[in-house]
Amino acid sequence: MGLEEKVPEGILTTSLDSVINWGRANSTWPLLFGLACCAMEMIATGTARHDIARYGSELFRASPRQADLMIVSGRVSNKMAPVIKRIYDQMLAPKWVIAMGICASAGGPFNNYAIIQGVDKIIPVDVYVPGCPPRPESLLYAMDMLRAKQKRESVGAGRKVDEPVTVDEIMPLGV
Amino acid sequence: MPLDVSPIFRSYESQRTLNPPGIPGLAPLPSGETDDTRRICEQFGEDIVAAGLHHGNQVVQVDAGRLKALATFLRDDPELRYETLIDVTSLDKSQLPQNGDSRFQTVYQFRSYARNQHLTVVADCEAGDGDNGAMPHIDSLTGVFRGAEWPEREVYDLMGIRFDGHPDLRRILMPKNWHNHPLQKQAPLGGEEVPFTFTWDDPEFDTLGTQILPSVSVAPDLPPGMSRQNMVINMGPHHPSTHGVLRLVVELDGERIVSIDPDLGFLHSGFEKTGENKRYKDFVYYTDRMDYLSSMSNNLGYCLTIEHMLGLEIPERAQVIRVIMAEMQRIASHLFWLATHVLDVSGTGMSLLMYATRERERILDLFEMVCGARLTVSYIRIGGVWQDLPDAFISELKDFLKLMPGKISEYEAMLTEAPLWQERLTDVGHIRGADALAMGLTGPMLRGSGVDWDLRRDRPYCGYEAYEFEVPTSDRGDCYGRFSIRLEEMRQSVRILEQAVANLPSGLFKSNDRKVTAPPRAELDVSMEALIHHFKLMTEGFHVPPGFFYNGIESSKGELGFYVYSDGSAKPYRLHVHGPSFNNLYAIDHISRGEMLSDVVTNIGSIDIVLGEVDR
Repeated sequence: MGLEEKVPEGILTTSLDSVINWGRANSTWPLLFGLACCAMEMIATGTARHDIARYGSELFRASPRQADLMIVSGRVSNKMAPVIKRIYDQMLAPKWVIAMGICASAGGPFNNYAIIQGVDKIIPVDVYVPGCPPRPESLLYAMDMLRAKQKRESVGAGRKVDEPVTVDEIMPLGV
Repeated sequence: MPLDVSPIFRSYESQRTLNPPGIPGLAPLPSGETDDTRRICEQFGEDIVAAGLHHGNQVVQVDAGRLKALATFLRDDPELRYETLIDVTSLDKSQLPQNGDSRFQTVYQFRSYARNQHLTVVADCEAGDGDNGAMPHIDSLTGVFRGAEWPEREVYDLMGIRFDGHPDLRRILMPKNWHNHPLQKQAPLGGEEVPFTFTWDDPEFDTLGTQILPSVSVAPDLPPGMSRQNMVINMGPHHPSTHGVLRLVVELDGERIVSIDPDLGFLHSGFEKTGENKRYKDFVYYTDRMDYLSSMSNNLGYCLTIEHMLGLEIPERAQVIRVIMAEMQRIASHLFWLATHVLDVSGTGMSLLMYATRERERILDLFEMVCGARLTVSYIRIGGVWQDLPDAFISELKDFLKLMPGKISEYEAMLTEAPLWQERLTDVGHIRGADALAMGLTGPMLRGSGVDWDLRRDRPYCGYEAYEFEVPTSDRGDCYGRFSIRLEEMRQSVRILEQAVANLPSGLFKSNDRKVTAPPRAELDVSMEALIHHFKLMTEGFHVPPGFFYNGIESSKGELGFYVYSDGSAKPYRLHVHGPSFNNLYAIDHISRGEMLSDVVTNIGSIDIVLGEVDR
């Protein structure tokens, strides 16, 4: 990706990792980007009762340049797919993607000419959230899983572990 | 390279195997006559193919060559005065048993608000010749009713019918390089086989994702008349204030708007085609996902249409429960509109978003109580509702009703007197009543321009005639007028809810007709007959007698209509949804011209669109 990939692994990078990952995992800014029904639940997650601010993610950024996380909240149509791809490309690394709901994950009930069967056909997805639409609690759980994933990453050469996150790794909020 | 939409498509396309053989597929001719059909027949004589009543609607079938003359006559005749064209749709008759001369048909819904009359006009299209690219064609009604422009573009896009004399006949929902017209019967439903056994070695996976088109649809595409001399900017489809994935191509002179060309279809999900491949009862779940802010109204509109075609009686209690749900949904939808509208206009007004969603969450809790879902409820089913109200529901609802009027006054106190709010809304997005009628606008957009019309009061359904409520209107015609109307509508909904709660009868919550509604679970253990009914219903569904019907209800955004053509089988032959947001959004160009760029955001919010319904 950049210079950091040339940094060799060692004590320095391990300590640096924990500091950087702590920052990234506790202030992941989502992209202000809604597609369909799931976007309504995404907004509900952002409002007072569910309060995504506890995760440091209340700052929905309208510009992809300032966002870390794309929540694909809804069905992806043929016409929208190139747009989503472009927005994803405009986001700066490190970046993560949550496929919110069954439509974004696998097409859902819309197995027809208009809808792409899963957004992972065009962009890589970190966390899939089942539901139609998922409840705000489900989205918050997905944020928990994402945090566990973020905490594994390393700025050094050996970054990105591809194995799925286990339940034990998902830390309660605040840890 | 020709594009294959469905590389591993196999057997999803319905073979319509569920039809018992020998069912008469064509709708019967309309019979009887009314004052209006008599007058039309006198005027047009032999050009009227058939006229009369069908399923309680006035229907006139006219020769294609005289369609435009008929539309003009309907609008201008002092005795008829059909001021508005609600909906334009089409029918591909190629799979109907007796397939007449013409394959395609267009269907128009006219409405006279002054005389409270509805008229369906049907016309067979002329088959295409060489000059027209072999497309079937018919006269465009844009010269008579301005609002026909978008619906006709939709028919052209999805069904492939060319409208002669249309000023701007381009695709509206599908990408411009799309290869077919999806609603034609020979076009496949498309989609992919869902891989339940999952191995990446399977060569099928090499073709996955090939239905994605190259990104030409993103390139700016100027409509005729838009000049390159002015600045053309692109707003959306990813924009925080477009309420979803709407793209506006805005032509600007300085900061003044010269014209706007909305680009739709970024959320086109093929609802109509999907509906034609699902059994009647299975489409209820799809209606939730069209206007996802008023799922209950969507359920209701669809169910009422099918029930009317079946001739099904709905128990009293179910009717009242439906009214309760529809009005709660109206409040929830208006609350969300208020929250986002304030957020758009002020840019940072998060407080009202928090307040309004606080009350909305209460409604969603109540929905969850009755059906387990917050948003996509599917609670109203054909024949009644899914299950009875839980015991605690009424007391919780009463608590909410006590609280709500005070909250509405709170929002009002925060906004109506605020000078900034008045500055941003007053005289912005102005539309006169006559224009609103010509464009086929409905709901608060129409009432905000002084037309006193509400389907709940004027063409009552679900027993709305038994409730006392007022229909707020405003002569202002601007965003402020529509804002105050919606606030007042919330108050009136509370009023209706109070009456409904006070008069909730006991009894059945769904029809006892076992051909349409499933028997209760307990009955299956003891009754063989119930088991058979259940099995038939779950495997085959029910059959709807051949015929067609258009029915509209007053959803929170306007008139939500369903047009269903049945060929007597268990699936709709044609299912068309008239989304109020679609017609209302057409006005964005008209109401924004000459205003500032920042007013576009106010106007979008004031129209109250949901893209799931616009694009369908």
